[in-house]
Amino acid sequence: MERLPEKKEISNYIIQSSEDEIKRIAFELHEGVGQTLYSVFTGMQLLEANMTDHESKHHVHEMNEILEKTIQEIRFLSVELHPPTLSSLGFLPALKSYLNLYKATYGILVEVEQVGQEILLPERHRIMLFRVCQEALGNIAKYADTHQVHIKLEWEKHGVAIVICDEGIGFDVEKNRHKPGLAVMYERMKLIGGNCVITSTLGKGTTIQLELPLQ
Amino acid sequence: MFDKTIHNAAIMDICIKTLHEVNCDFVGFAFQNQIGPDIKWHVVAGNQNEKYKHITLRYGKGIAGRVISTGSPMTIEDFPHDILGKALEYPIMLAEKLIYAYAVPIYLNGAPKGVFLIGQRLRKGLSEEEKKVIIIQARSIEDTIS
Ligand SMILES: Nc1ncnc2c1ncn2[C@@H]1O[C@H](COP(=O)(O)OP(=O)(O)OP(=O)(O)O)[C@@H](O)[C@H]1O
Ligand SMILES: [Mg+2]
Repeated sequence: MERLPEKKEISNYIIQSSEDEIKRIAFELHEGVGQTLYSVFTGMQLLEANMTDHESKHHVHEMNEILEKTIQEIRFLSVELHPPTLSSLGFLPALKSYLNLYKATYGILVEVEQVGQEILLPERHRIMLFRVCQEALGNIAKYADTHQVHIKLEWEKHGVAIVICDEGIGFDVEKNRHKPGLAVMYERMKLIGGNCVITSTLGKGTTIQLELPLQ
Repeated sequence: MFDKTIHNAAIMDICIKTLHEVNCDFVGFAFQNQIGPDIKWHVVAGNQNEKYKHITLRYGKGIAGRVISTGSPMTIEDFPHDILGKALEYPIMLAEKLIYAYAVPIYLNGAPKGVFLIGQRLRKGLSEEEKKVIIIQARSIEDTIS
């Protein structure tokens, strides 16, 4: 008789296929639409430079400005969806490019402290860690009411530990652990053989500890 | 073009005046930088923190980004319940904990280049009279920078 897939395998399969799709869209935005618009932009700039009629020149200039902002927004979108570096260079470069965007979008400063050198994790693990950090940072922007976040990454022989700390308003973890955002953070870490611990004190802030042992 | 060294004081006066004349908790003016595509919050009043200083508006996103890309005013009646997209797409609402916001475009040479935003932390809404005052203030910002 054929073996039925375990629940864990199904969850992994569902996540993997949606991550593949997100990656495809992000890549298409960055390399496809983004590149094409950039070619149009450089062509239009040339056109603008060679124009003599004041009114038309002004008009083309305005269009170029809109184009430039659109190209920038497309790059940002692709970083939010799936940073191009996540699949190529690794977790930390991807996290850093996301953090730059995060700071510029929410006005929240993020301090990153790294101990040790990045160990190249399987892509699936990198993506899962990235999504968990993204959710934690999103929650901070939405609820923590603070302008500063501290992230510590510790790479060791036997694994990686990530701690995300905010000194915001804090919340009752017990009452919220089954809310989708937090529940998915726990579940994602479990699916890759890791662990997630969330602690929070009202008025003091929140700490999220992620651990991923290397197989 | 908006030049901080020349226009800051006059626009600050307009923001503070609006804060007093209109039933609101926050007033902000964002405008495209002199160089490059970035749009920043340059003058605010009633702010609870300094996050606005680090924020670069996302073109076409959130209330301010959308007002600039469409060139039309926009209202959020009950954040985060009546919005298009996710709460995370509305950074200034989150940063200043606003529930209600009304934002109008600031035009320069016939194109929307900035936004004038009025926000409330407790939702009271704005009367048509108050919205008219805001539009008049936005016009005087345009006169200041043109
Ligand atoms: N860093 C934080 N500071 C303060 N409160 C937090 C923080 N993180 C989470 N919370 C609280 O925990 C609750 C649950 O978070 P969760 O991520 O599950 O839900 P959500 O962000 O509201 O929705 P979703 O993630 O599904 O969009 C939040 O509603 C918030 O009250
Ligand atoms: Mg969440």
